[in-house]
Amino acid sequence: MKKVILENNIPLVLKQNKNTPRMALCFYFKIENPEKKAGLYTVLNRLFLQGTKNRTAQQLANELDENAIDCYSEMKQDFIRFKLQCLNEDFEKGIEILADIIKNSTFEDFNKEVIKLKGEIPAEMDEPKSKAMDAFYKNIFKNHPYGHTYTKILEDIDDITPQDVRDAYKDLLSNSPKVISLVGDFDENNVIELLKKHFSEIKNTSDFSSKIEAPVLTETQIVKVEKDDAAQAQIIQGWHVPTIFDKDYPAIMVMNTMLGSSGLSSRLFLELRDKKGLAYVVRSSYEIYDKAALFNVYIATEPKNIKTSLEGFKIELDKIKNIPVTEQELANAKNNLIGKRQFFTETNLQQSSLMAFYEDKGLGADYEEKLIEQINHVTADDIQRVANLCIKEPYVLTVLAPKEYLNF
Amino acid sequence: MEENIVKKEVVYPYLTRPVEIYERECGHKIVLAHKEGGLVNISSWVKTGSINENDEINGISHFLEHLMFKGTHKHKAGYFDKTLESKGAIVNAATWKDYTFYYVTLPKGPENSYMNEAIELHADMMLDPVIPEDEIGPAFTYGDDNVSQKRERHVVIEEIRMRQDQPWTKIYNNTNKNMYTNHPYRRDVIGFPEIIASVSRETILDYYRTHYTPNNITTIVAGDFDSKEVLEKVVKEFDFKERQNYQNPEYDLDKPVEEEKYFELKGKINTGFAITGWLGPVARDIKDNIGLEIVNVVLGEGQSSRLYQNLIEKVSDPIFNVVTTDFYSFRDGGNFFVQSNFKADKKDDALRLIKKEFEKLSKEGMSEQEFQKAKKKLKARFAESSETVSDIAENIGYYMTVCNELDLVEKYLEDLESYTLEEANQIANKYLQFKNSVTTVLIPE
Repeated sequence: MKKVILENNIPLVLKQNKNTPRMALCFYFKIENPEKKAGLYTVLNRLFLQGTKNRTAQQLANELDENAIDCYSEMKQDFIRFKLQCLNEDFEKGIEILADIIKNSTFEDFNKEVIKLKGEIPAEMDEPKSKAMDAFYKNIFKNHPYGHTYTKILEDIDDITPQDVRDAYKDLLSNSPKVISLVGDFDENNVIELLKKHFSEIKNTSDFSSKIEAPVLTETQIVKVEKDDAAQAQIIQGWHVPTIFDKDYPAIMVMNTMLGSSGLSSRLFLELRDKKGLAYVVRSSYEIYDKAALFNVYIATEPKNIKTSLEGFKIELDKIKNIPVTEQELANAKNNLIGKRQFFTETNLQQSSLMAFYEDKGLGADYEEKLIEQINHVTADDIQRVANLCIKEPYVLTVLAPKEYLNF
Repeated sequence: MEENIVKKEVVYPYLTRPVEIYERECGHKIVLAHKEGGLVNISSWVKTGSINENDEINGISHFLEHLMFKGTHKHKAGYFDKTLESKGAIVNAATWKDYTFYYVTLPKGPENSYMNEAIELHADMMLDPVIPEDEIGPAFTYGDDNVSQKRERHVVIEEIRMRQDQPWTKIYNNTNKNMYTNHPYRRDVIGFPEIIASVSRETILDYYRTHYTPNNITTIVAGDFDSKEVLEKVVKEFDFKERQNYQNPEYDLDKPVEEEKYFELKGKINTGFAITGWLGPVARDIKDNIGLEIVNVVLGEGQSSRLYQNLIEKVSDPIFNVVTTDFYSFRDGGNFFVQSNFKADKKDDALRLIKKEFEKLSKEGMSEQEFQKAKKKLKARFAESSETVSDIAENIGYYMTVCNELDLVEKYLEDLESYTLEEANQIANKYLQFKNSVTTVLIPE
């Protein structure tokens, strides 16, 4: 792995994987200004593949598909990233198209894209799980851009103007901190020349700081969502917890593995699925953002099991808070977590993506190695301490079910 | 006495070495694929799925798949998951119409120690499942709320419930059921809660003993290792003893429906969903399978596809939110689907517009440009499926189980390359006539 600062001041992190057929590149633009209207960045992001000064949307789609080039943008809470993946022989073409999209997008199809998005949201909300998750995130990140879920977007979308999108784009291009990562079988000098040729006018700024505040959750909320024909209740309970920059990040990861993020041997899986037969899907998750993080537990179960499931969660959460984990369970969870990290870095695209993710966060593209070392140092005391730190009031509990089952 | 094992090699595109296929005297096949890196995938594919079920035991293949994880005579339930997951493994299984497969993907470990332990535990699970009564849970009448011991029967019933909440699954199941007249493919793989609640342990064990035979199992190891050592290890651990072989029955292939069929379901939803399905060629008919893969890309895959362009992108106020196609290959005949989500009050327009696009393709054919794009995409997809040990093993498992051999892989890119535009255009006419289709829509009550 190697880091080079390009002439335009953008860090480029590179990794050679000889004899691999496809190249993978990620280009990150950090979001440091909060969107004023929910959905603004979503619309901007969707318009990136809808035509440039040189190509119509159809020409773009055709040219990418004809060359089997995967090139798309993704919007997450803290960044918009472009991913490019193609056979080695098509890399130059891929870079040229990516540069065209980033530099020359016209955003002319604004109205159409808004109409499409407004159609897709109700379709998405026809899935009970999506509907429940929407209600959960909207409440746990109330009054914060992280809470701009699909239904929040529907509330605001008619107020967004084409000028808003063009302004957001300009801001992103000029002011956003940027990172490029590349993994594959390449000649380094050629690649640097190619990036210089296509991206020299996009500069990186170093003196910009985020205007997005950390979200705050002040009181516990129970959110009930009625869905009268639901065969299963959807239950999500979540807490605001320390994020990736905190010293407790590795310990929370291990706790999450132990409780329910990973596979068939976690506590929630064993107790609520295997022993009580309450669910097919039961798990915990630890979601990382720049300004916050969430620790969540989730179960989908027959509506009459809501109370038993909530009690089951409580028992397991209390247990990890009050009873020290054994050294054996701790070692198993750490090995599980560390071993599984390899799955995040199997393909060139995964490696490129992870390197850019860490670099974007200011942790360094090689942070993975440090993280593994930190995970190895987590103790049983750490687990108990972070469990008590994370799992306490306030929290948000969202339950979707037929009305008759919502009196729990 | 040393066992006589027949070895074959198949050149697998984008892998640095040929894939080795071994067939043992008992009929058990072992496939070794070389892929550089620290991860290894170990899997066994069994030639059984809903294809071997009838109305009384519909769902048993999938239920058995769950119960295979419930311990052996050597190791109690949970040991397998805990031991392997504590080494960073992903362990899981899947059941489909033609097959059931079980896999472990994990780091090889120091001196291959994790890999070797995984082979031991995987073989033990495949050959000696106990399926204890207390893990299955007592049989009950579905709907009876007074069940004290809720065990794996309830887990599977929850999985069924989860699918009942998925609009796409609802319409897929109804279409699938009505595309066939006699073939077992008409059954939903996951089965019915009434059967899962009541099927006996003995019936499940009988099913296991009948179908999990040496000639019906292919074990695949993909990763970076010494082939000789791994072959010896797999042969040693997969000791089938005197287990008798079983030949899967052949089923008469179903003919497509002769008159267009249409079903309408209602639900508490906000938008409309539709699926139209056609029967396709058997899996070993590589020519026609490639043809339908090409048609699939041209018509309904990605943003450059005809359906997306003509029904969403080029329309100022589209009635569709989603419109895509899919092609699945099965031993006794694949399925081609077009699926759409649309504004709830525009059902008739939606169905008419989709039909128009199919008729246009049928009449005018695809362009040379569309055709070349599809070929390139399929080539890139093949490259993609050789990037991870899991994808490589899954691809091999599919060919070995559904197509009976790996030979088709060797020629896939060649067959794709030599395919002509004329052939591709004939395929759409041959398989995708609306008179031979089944449509299900789901609209708001």
